[in-house]
Amino acid sequence: MTQLADTAESGTEEVPRLPPPSRGYRLMHGIGWTLIWLGALTMGFVVHQLWMTTFFAKQNQAELIVDLEERFGSAEIIEIPYIPVTPPTDSPPPDDPPIASGALGNLGVLRAEAPPEEGAAFAEIRIPSLASLQDGWAVVEGVSLDDLKNGAGHMPWTPLPGQPGNSVISGHRTTYGQPFHDLDLVEFGDLIEVKTALGTHTYAVREIHVVNPTELWVTHPRSGAWLTLTTCNPKFSAKERLIVAAELVEGPNAEVILGRL
Amino acid sequence: MRRIYRALPGPTPVKIVTSIVVVAVALVALHFFYEWVGSSFLDTGGTVG
Repeated sequence: MTQLADTAESGTEEVPRLPPPSRGYRLMHGIGWTLIWLGALTMGFVVHQLWMTTFFAKQNQAELIVDLEERFGSAEIIEIPYIPVTPPTDSPPPDDPPIASGALGNLGVLRAEAPPEEGAAFAEIRIPSLASLQDGWAVVEGVSLDDLKNGAGHMPWTPLPGQPGNSVISGHRTTYGQPFHDLDLVEFGDLIEVKTALGTHTYAVREIHVVNPTELWVTHPRSGAWLTLTTCNPKFSAKERLIVAAELVEGPNAEVILGRL
Repeated sequence: MRRIYRALPGPTPVKIVTSIVVVAVALVALHFFYEWVGSSFLDTGGTVG
């Protein structure tokens, strides 16, 4: 038997006990553990933002793709006269988005679909030159916080893709599925495909800008048919916006809008 | 942690189930807390990094 056991059996000698911790020690102990928990909470937040939000967004995407197929099969297609969009002005952009103006004329007939409801998926965007966007992302109507949690969002006050003017789609860069994570890798001339109930509209990248979040001119109407993609810049920051503007080159309405008829 | 686990009522299987439920509820609460923090303090106008 060990000496400890012998001592315990005999009960003659007391086991030396540590003095009770001082107040300062307990205070430091408490502060230390609080900092450890705060650190763990912060790390958890980072993990949640970068990975968990993407996990949930991809779950939502799977459901949206099913909704899209239903919409593509059932959306009502109408024909409307082509009204060219007149851009507001070339010199300093105004603070508020101007109203698109145009004149009726016998310029042809466009195919159009009914505007989607807020939050509903109505299009799928693909950028074949980007690995992350080769398979496509569902685009929902609206750019509210909740809308963008599900995928890329279309600004409701801009025309739908494939229509004259400037159709604007926004998406997250590093969270919620990060649909536009690699948008900085696109090059001039790269193609962007947007599939809607009308068919596939193909745009070619013409402009790439980095602007402040307050520079709303990027959403203003343009002559012809344009698609503008916006996302945060640089990655992991919302300090600036990365803007990719692409011009319609192919699609159900391209012949009319580009004046090839 | 161990002290909290021991303080749970019931035999070991009940303690295990109770722990799993408590952790699951805590994770769900944490998820909503993180969502709130993210949209309240990180988002600026609808599009975030």
